[in-house]
Formats: sequence, structure tokens, C-alpha cells
Amino acid sequence: MPVSARGPLDRRRFLAASAGVALATAALPGCAASVDSGSGSGGGGKTLTVMTLVDEWDAKTKRSIEKMLDVTLRIITYDVTKLNAMLASKNPPDVVRGIGATDAPYFAARGLMTDLDPYFAKSEVLKVSDLASANDVWRFDGEKQGTGPRYGLAKDYSQDSMFWYRTDMFEEAGLELPSDTEPLSMDEWLDLGERLTRRRLGKVKVYGLNATGMGVFSQLMWMTASAGGSVFADDMASVDFSSPEALKAIQWYARYAKADIGPSLLNPNPDGWDGPTYQASRMAMSCSGFWFGGVIAAEPKLTEVSRFAPAPQLGGHRVSPCFGGTGFWMPKDAQNKEAAWKLFEWYFAGQPAKDRAAAGWGLPSLDSLRASMPKENAFQKQAYAVQEQEAAYFSVLPVSPYAQTDALNGVLSKVLPDAIRSGTKPGKIADALNSRMNEQLARGKELVG
Amino acid sequence: MSTEQLTGPDATPDAPSPARPAGGEPGGRRAPRHGSQQARRAGAFYVFAGPWVLGFLGLTVFPLGYALWLSFTNSDGLSPNARFVGLANYREVFADPDTLASFARTGLFAAITVPLTIVAGLVLAVLLNQPIRARGLFRTLLYLPAVVPPVGAALTFKLIFDRDSGSANGVLDLLGVNGLTWLGDPYARYVLIMLTVWGCGNVMIISLAGLQDIPGELLDAARVDGASQWQSFTRIVLPLLSPVLFFQVVTQLIMTLQTFVPLLISLDPSPKGVSAVPDSNYLIMIDVFSQFFANGRYGYASALLWVLFLFIMLVTLLVFRLSKGAVFYSVDPEQAKPKTRTIGDN
Repeated sequence: MPVSARGPLDRRRFLAASAGVALATAALPGCAASVDSGSGSGGGGKTLTVMTLVDEWDAKTKRSIEKMLDVTLRIITYDVTKLNAMLASKNPPDVVRGIGATDAPYFAARGLMTDLDPYFAKSEVLKVSDLASANDVWRFDGEKQGTGPRYGLAKDYSQDSMFWYRTDMFEEAGLELPSDTEPLSMDEWLDLGERLTRRRLGKVKVYGLNATGMGVFSQLMWMTASAGGSVFADDMASVDFSSPEALKAIQWYARYAKADIGPSLLNPNPDGWDGPTYQASRMAMSCSGFWFGGVIAAEPKLTEVSRFAPAPQLGGHRVSPCFGGTGFWMPKDAQNKEAAWKLFEWYFAGQPAKDRAAAGWGLPSLDSLRASMPKENAFQKQAYAVQEQEAAYFSVLPVSPYAQTDALNGVLSKVLPDAIRSGTKPGKIADALNSRMNEQLARGKELVG
Repeated sequence: MSTEQLTGPDATPDAPSPARPAGGEPGGRRAPRHGSQQARRAGAFYVFAGPWVLGFLGLTVFPLGYALWLSFTNSDGLSPNARFVGLANYREVFADPDTLASFARTGLFAAITVPLTIVAGLVLAVLLNQPIRARGLFRTLLYLPAVVPPVGAALTFKLIFDRDSGSANGVLDLLGVNGLTWLGDPYARYVLIMLTVWGCGNVMIISLAGLQDIPGELLDAARVDGASQWQSFTRIVLPLLSPVLFFQVVTQLIMTLQTFVPLLISLDPSPKGVSAVPDSNYLIMIDVFSQFFANGRYGYASALLWVLFLFIMLVTLLVFRLSKGAVFYSVDPEQAKPKTRTIGDN
């Protein structure tokens, strides 16, 4: 049945009005916030929006935070796509979970993070002098990571190139245990991995070694640094994999992947991390930092056969970096920064920080909490002693602000598998990596300025 | 048969009905009631159409337009110095060997999986249309994969095909055969094809409905005339089923060209997870996701999406064009006018 075209609301007017309403709604800057999947749980007048893991705090803790800060707490589940939309619409959360080692330069260079130095200056609770040096991964001076203003804090951290090993598997293979103080060379490490690997009909029944706990790009950075070089140029605007040090690192990774003694780009870890495989007695050595002790501590049988070792080295320059430093940061356009900082003080220096330090799921980000680290049984005592010695070799390995580490890892996963399978020479691999990564970095530099 | 007609969609409502003289009831009382009925129906139209129109404009037209605008910039969504780059992103789409390879891979994947899925669904539908025992149970079991959430299906396949602890290699192990790296190149593409075809229950259920709509007397008549089962199937069933199959070809093709399943198999649908997708499963939607969220190239990724959108439109039009002569409608869809039903027809 036709509707009169002369009525007060004919079809054309109706469609035009709908379009207006729909476009206005979609274009509203705040609409990105409507993708909120979290919930507020009641509280004071202001709302403190935190983007973090869905299970970061239970309902009781949320209520106590609200009471303490006199806010309504709204939790948004962490999702990088959602975060980008909220940042772009200038309606970001007040506090965001992030990985300092990779997120800080990228977001800080784009002017999206709040400089926390003024907050530290007036804080009675969080003192810069008490911060563990790993918190430097959250610093960025406008060009380079590791110095300059602080843009976030690590809730805990690890030196991620250290490794855990199973003494029972070493004994079974008749191998000497690694030293608690002297690092293995990368070749020795690879050799041990090969000897510890158990195979059957093309399948690996027991992995000798997973050498890539925090991604291949980080691993190449670390190995190159250990050999005395650097993947990035001084201005962080380009990479150079054709330096002798970086070539040595590529060669080592190619040997590791081809040896098929653990998860690699040729055979990715089906679980995405080492926990289940290590617990199932299917992995002899796992390149994971102190935090992995939390996994081990959950199983008494594992604590008896697990030990911690210093980060192996490719060259004579001993480096033991942190590739995570997961914690919180405050977006520049956050609406409720004072409450956000109070949350920081509670979370990083209050009871939650003390509980985290005692739990052993990472090293405390405040030096004053180091005494709370677990040292109850032999496994914890050994890990603590090894960790204390390793702390001297910590250094920040800066990443470029011009490309996300995920993008650089994406290039590696495009180039390396075929190259390793076909036995391409390291020089050619380096050329391909340089060309692709530098293209990305140049685009990022143009945007950041 | 009564002469009073029920108005069909093609009827002209403003024209006077033979049974209802213009002017309505004596005294002119009918005209206002007719008008208010019209207004009510118009109101109902707006109430029902409104939400959809708003949703379509806000969630489809606006994002499409916004993406089109983005595709002419070098924006990364966050940096302040984004600028207009004209058609540079579109030129790059057609010059980037990785993107072209992704398109080719996606086309090949669609060319393999769409026919396989349609044929598998049709074969199952024909089997389940037979008078067999526990037919309902079989129908349910075979339809189940179609209702399993994609993430669950991907997880299951990942567990089955894991090289070192999966049951697929476990079976090979029992046979004394070396295990394969199923989830790596080059076997990952076969796992993806299997996962896609495994979900052919949707095709099966629609084909089954189509089969049950075929008049039994036609098949009986063919049998009486001495036609074999195969002849009945190819000469009667398939032609009558062809509109249903054609609909499925079009919808499956569109879905397949946009498939995102490889990232689900990597089980880490995040920018980091993209690096775990093997090259053979690096389809165009994976490239789009990677360009958006790993590489932060919102402009280029938007151009990719627009090219994909136009590509799908083109392929769909091509399929429609090629289908002429292969799809048999009982009524010509372009000429067809619904029959005017009259009271007493039933």
C-alpha cells in the first residue's frame, strides 16, 4: 500500500531524517566508548575507567577500590582494537594495561601518554628512588626508550632471556646441569637442547628447548646486543640485520629452527606459551623469566626438578633484558587523572604489590619489596639467588617508536620460514628483513614526524 | 468463487475495486476510516523499517564512507601527521606482491571450498532424504558442526592436528608413518579446507528443504516412464533444486572470500597472533587485520577493504551472469508476478 508522498513524514523525509540521526550517532566522538564490555559496580560521583584483564579484580576488590577512591569503577576488557578506537576518539580510559617494553615508545611518540613525573614528584607513596630499573622500559625521551619522562609503571617484571630447566631430564640424558652464575654460550645451549630432545616418527615427544619465549624479534635484538651490536640504528628509524652481530643472531635462529628441538616459526607452539608443555614433562628447557616460577610453584613435583639459570649469551657482552614490564599507563586525554594516580599508588605500592611480590609471579617493581620474594623451599632459594646475581646485567633494549613490535614480528614470520626451509644465506635474509622493516619504519617516521 | 479480491502486491490499491465502488459507503463515512487505516499502516511501516534503516545507515553506510575517506590517507589512527595521499594506497594494493598473493590464495581457497561444501551438503541432503532408520538422529548429527561456534571448531581442529600431541599424527603413528606438521606450511591449507567443508551442515539443511519441496508425482511419473534414479536426479531433481543451490553458491562464495578462520586456528585473534598464521593460510582478511592492527596502516587497510568489497561485488555479478541458463526457475524471476488470490481459491 503506498503511503502518501505529501504527508507530514513521507518516505523520503523519513529516510533523510534516519540518515541524519544515524550519522550523527555514529560520528559522535564518544561512540567508541559504547563498545564497553565491562561494567561499573557502583560507587562515588566520578567514574574511573580502567582497561585491563577482565579478571584483574574480583567484585570485593572492586568495591574496596571504589570506596577508597570515591569513584565508580568501570572495567573495560583489554582489546587493542578497542583501545585504538578510544584513543582516536579522544575518549580513552583513565588507566590502561600495557606492555612497557613495546607499548611505551609507540604511544608516547604519538603524544598519547601522560608524563607521570609530576605525579611522582608529589607522591608520598611512590618514589622514583625506589623503582626497580626495569621500570625504565616505560621511559621515553622523545627519541629513545629507557631515558626521559616516565609514562607508566610495571606491576612486576622478569629478565626474559633467562631459562628454567628440568634436572630430571638432564640426569636422564647424562648431562651436567647449567651453572647458576656463569651463562651458557648460545651454541652450548643449542647443543644441550638437541641432546635433550626426544623424537618418534617425525614427532617431537620432548622438546629440548624453547628459545623464543617473548617473540623472535626480541630474541634477535637480545642476541645481537650480546654479540656487541644493535638491530636498530641510533635514531631508531631503521634496522640493520646485515651487521656481523645481527647476521650471527640470524644464523643462530636458523640453526635452532632447523634443528626442530622446540617451538619456532616453523612449528609454532600450539599453546602459545610453555606452561602446559613444561608441566606435562614435554619440555626440558624453557626460555622464560622469573615469572615462570609461579607456574612451577603450583605443582610440588615440578618444584623438585626445576631450576633457574642465567641468560645465555651469543657474544662477550652480557645482557639480560626485560621484554615485558607489563603494567599500567595513563592516556593523555584521560578524564580522571587524580583518581587514576591514586589507583597507581594503591596498586603499585599498596597491598596488591606486596601480594604480587610474595607470590613469585615476577619481580617486584619496587626495590623495597624485593625482600618479600618467595624463598621458602630449595627451588625458590635457588631461583632467588640466580636472579639476584643476574640483576646486574639488566639493561633496556630500546625498540623503535615508529613501528609496533607486532608488525616487525609479522615481517619475520613472512620472511624466515621459507628462508630457513630453503637454506637461504643469512645475508640475503638480512637484506629482505632490512627492506621490509625499513619501509615500515619510514612510514611510521613520516607520521610521527 | 467470490469476485471480491484480496489485494496482491502488484494490485493498484488506489484504483476502484469492482466490488467496492469509489466513494465508499453511503454518506461518505468510509473515506475517513480508510485514511486512518492508511496512516496506521504507514506508521507500522516506519516503526518496523526504522530500526533497520538507522542500523544500516549508522553501522554500514557510515563506516563504509569513513573507510573510503581513510583509504585516501596514510592514517595510522593515532598519529597527528596523517595526510591525504590520493590513490597511492589503491596503487599499492595492486603493486604489493604480498597482497596480490593473498588475493590469489583467497580466490583459490574459494574455488576449492565452495564447490566442495555445496557438493558435500547436497550429497548428505540426498542421503538424508531417503526413508532410512533414525533419519532424524542422522540429520541432527550432521547438522551439529554447523552450529558449533567457529572458535570451538578451530580449537578442536588445532588439538587434532597438532604435530606433536594431536590425534591425527597419533593415527599415523599407529600405522608406523611419520607425523606431519599439519598446522604449518604447506599442510595448513588442507586443514583449513577440511575445517570449512566440515561445516557443510548449513548447505545440507537448505538443500534438504529444497529436496522436500520437489513434487513426488514428478519423480513417480519419471519412474513410470522408465527413468533410472540417476536420470531422475540429473533431469528432475537438480534442475528443480538449482535456484536453491545457486543461492548457496552465492552466499558461500561471499562468506568464503571474507573468511577469518585462519586466525581462529592460530587461537590468538590479536595482532600478535597474525604472525602465527602460516603463509598458505594468509588470506586477504588476515592481511587486512594485520595491516590495521599490527602495522597500524588504517589508510592502506581501508583501501584493501574497499578493493575486497568491489571484488566480491564483481565476482557475485559474474556468478549471476554465468548462472543464466544453468538455474531453472519454475517462474521467471524477472517476469514473475504473484498470482492474484481470490477467496474460494483454497
